Amino acid sequence: MSSFFFAIFQYLEELFTSRLPFFPSNIRAALFIILFCMVGFSELYLFIFLRRTEQGIRRKRDKIWSEKLTNILANIIVYGDEEDTTTIVEHFLPRLQRLPIHRLSVRKILVKEMLAYNASFTGTVGEVLRELYLRLKLDKVAKKNLNNRYWEIQIEAIRELTQMRVRDITDKLLKYSDDENGQLRMEAQAAFLKLSTTEPFRFLDRARERILDWHQLVLFEVITKTEDIEIPSFSKWLTSANDTVVMLCLKLVSHYQQLDAIPQLIQLLSHPNLLIRIAAIRILGKIEAQTAEETMLAIYFDEPVEVRIEILEALGLIASGEHMEFLRARTRSDEFKLRMSAMRSIRAHGRGGKELLNTIYSEETLQNKAIIKHVLDERIK
Amino acid sequence: MRKNSYVNYRDILVSPHAPSVSILAPAYNEANTIIENVRSLLSLHYSNFEVIIINDGSSDESLQNLIDFYSLELVDFALNAQIRTKALRGVYKSRNPAFSKLLVVDKVNGGKSDALNLGINISDKELILCIDVDCIVEQDALLKMVKPFMDEGKKVIATGGVVRIANSCEVKEGRLVKVHMPTSIISRFQVLEYLRAFLMGRMAWSRLNGLLLISGAMGLFDKDLVVKCGGYSHKTVGEDMELVVRMRRYMHDHDQKYRVVYIPDPLCWTESPVDLQVLGRQRNRWTRGTMETLWFHKDLFFNPRYGLLGLLSYPYWFFFEWLAPILEFFGMTVFILLAFLGNINWEFSLILIGMVYFFAVTVSTLAVVFEEMSYQQYTSGKDLLKLLLIATIEPLFYHPITVYWAIRGNLDMLMGKKSWGKMTRAGFATKTKTVELNG
Repeated sequence: MSSFFFAIFQYLEELFTSRLPFFPSNIRAALFIILFCMVGFSELYLFIFLRRTEQGIRRKRDKIWSEKLTNILANIIVYGDEEDTTTIVEHFLPRLQRLPIHRLSVRKILVKEMLAYNASFTGTVGEVLRELYLRLKLDKVAKKNLNNRYWEIQIEAIRELTQMRVRDITDKLLKYSDDENGQLRMEAQAAFLKLSTTEPFRFLDRARERILDWHQLVLFEVITKTEDIEIPSFSKWLTSANDTVVMLCLKLVSHYQQLDAIPQLIQLLSHPNLLIRIAAIRILGKIEAQTAEETMLAIYFDEPVEVRIEILEALGLIASGEHMEFLRARTRSDEFKLRMSAMRSIRAHGRGGKELLNTIYSEETLQNKAIIKHVLDERIK
Repeated sequence: MRKNSYVNYRDILVSPHAPSVSILAPAYNEANTIIENVRSLLSLHYSNFEVIIINDGSSDESLQNLIDFYSLELVDFALNAQIRTKALRGVYKSRNPAFSKLLVVDKVNGGKSDALNLGINISDKELILCIDVDCIVEQDALLKMVKPFMDEGKKVIATGGVVRIANSCEVKEGRLVKVHMPTSIISRFQVLEYLRAFLMGRMAWSRLNGLLLISGAMGLFDKDLVVKCGGYSHKTVGEDMELVVRMRRYMHDHDQKYRVVYIPDPLCWTESPVDLQVLGRQRNRWTRGTMETLWFHKDLFFNPRYGLLGLLSYPYWFFFEWLAPILEFFGMTVFILLAFLGNINWEFSLILIGMVYFFAVTVSTLAVVFEEMSYQQYTSGKDLLKLLLIATIEPLFYHPITVYWAIRGNLDMLMGKKSWGKMTRAGFATKTKTVELNG
């Protein structure tokens, strides 16, 4: 058996050494590719093996430290609200200072555990953790990382400092709130909202970059869920040159039902951006702005189908009953969606609307009869 | 992938501003598993969605099982027939508010494309998620697939995710709880194939914005655009690829910038065929689907008007997906013929075959490395070794069979075969709470 392998080895050796120069160029190229691939996949095998081994070792090491640190932090919770913050901090600080937090892995685990506990506990425990975080000077590393050239590290730093309520970074956050990198921009905006005590919405004044739909959604959540944030009148940004700022503020006007924004909302009905017009109409309907009805009717025939649908739906939400004839006429529109919206809108006018639909049922086409039945069927939303 | 690792999907989960989605799942004779499958879809993590099950004229108890279990009743639904389909028999909603997101549609049998088209007509949401009802969908799949529609500078027209092989994995109440390497060697070959396709090929194509295919097992689309494009085609068995090509064409024809985005996360788990015959039928259909799509859109071939689509994506599919197996088959036939005639330099031939072999093994090993570095779904060392072993034997045993199936697909296409071919699966049916799928 060994002689067989030896023969193969000898053959391969000759193939790649003494015989190589005498082969045609395509065969030589093929031999080089074989060699390259063999080296390549051997390295890949080695990489996988080393990676798995390293992962295993790290997992074990992290587990030990994680248990140790969890134990210390859990004791803080046991102390809980019974003692004042300073006493608890003074008690635990020496124990934590004895830890080798100069080691990156230990520091990372400690910060991770502190953040996890901080997210779960408010009150004294949260304050103690914040104080310990600052006294251990863990914020120094995070602050340094704010200037890192990798946006991922900057984001991690922003999140860490925001959760630990380190407020002296707001200037930096304001700078990043209009950064070219969308992800960093959004994190900075969200953090600024949480940390700025004076003007949390200042970044909207200077936003030149787009606030993408996703970012709007995140900011909306931050604004509406953050406690102690002073809500301004968002109407002042409805005239912003940045359409995405307008879109975000429209969502907020709608959420906070800011009736003072009605005049600006009516002005937005002539905005060149279709999405802004649609959103404005939707909000006017939602806040039942009867004063906007005439403007909506005036623009109806100049607008595309998407806007017309919104106008019809808004008339239904306002349900003033002033424009039943208009709505009835729209049930003869060419577009199915317009007819459906007009019928829905009529139906939204309470008993009167329902009666009207029942009255016109017999005069309608087969498809309109189906729409009326659909609209009257309360099981379908 | 790196960007998405910093995303907190909880925001989109609770937000009233998340785009609305209709999940369209055609079902044909799925009586045994339909209840569990629907339950799994209804439990997806997302706030603004509805599930539309389209019963495509099943001859079994699929519809009745749904009616009984979910307390369904017929409603007066006005259909906006934007795309022509076979007749609608009825639309059902549940009396139970717990199932308010469920809509069951009963129609005359017309095939998968027809069923999906009717679902599109029924839907009144912004996005449609077209899926195979028997797939196991990750709970946060919808969150991840919706996000690109909200955070790309360009208009996103479709997103697709990674489809993985679920055979031998542990499934509990319609959810995948533990990933294992399949016990069947045929499924293992497919695991490697899927890793290569999804973690390498599609990732690269997505980066170039050149994706032509969003897997039919799971794809999220802009509904208005799908309607404008006329929905799924009935004329091909590769309707998933054909729709994406048509949507891309539409955007080019209307000078609109767009993206087709691929999510590298494993979002959908499917049961792979464990039987060579069934697998052969599937591959035969894929080949025919590719040929039909390439034929329907032949004017894209090196057409500069369509940019990357015409100059790179289409030619790639033409040369590497359609033509390559034919050339390979032709080459092997000539080789065998010459061998019989004694006109072969065996040493040179073996060196060339060796080159192809080692190259294939390296590429497959690289796919395994990608999996290791990204999601590491196969945590057990044994599973990893099995995968690496499969990479070394795949070019010798499995690949030649796939070439044969591709040739059969080409011949069937030329003979005018149009059917899907019967697909039998072991199924995810659960008698106990935790099951091991066959294979």
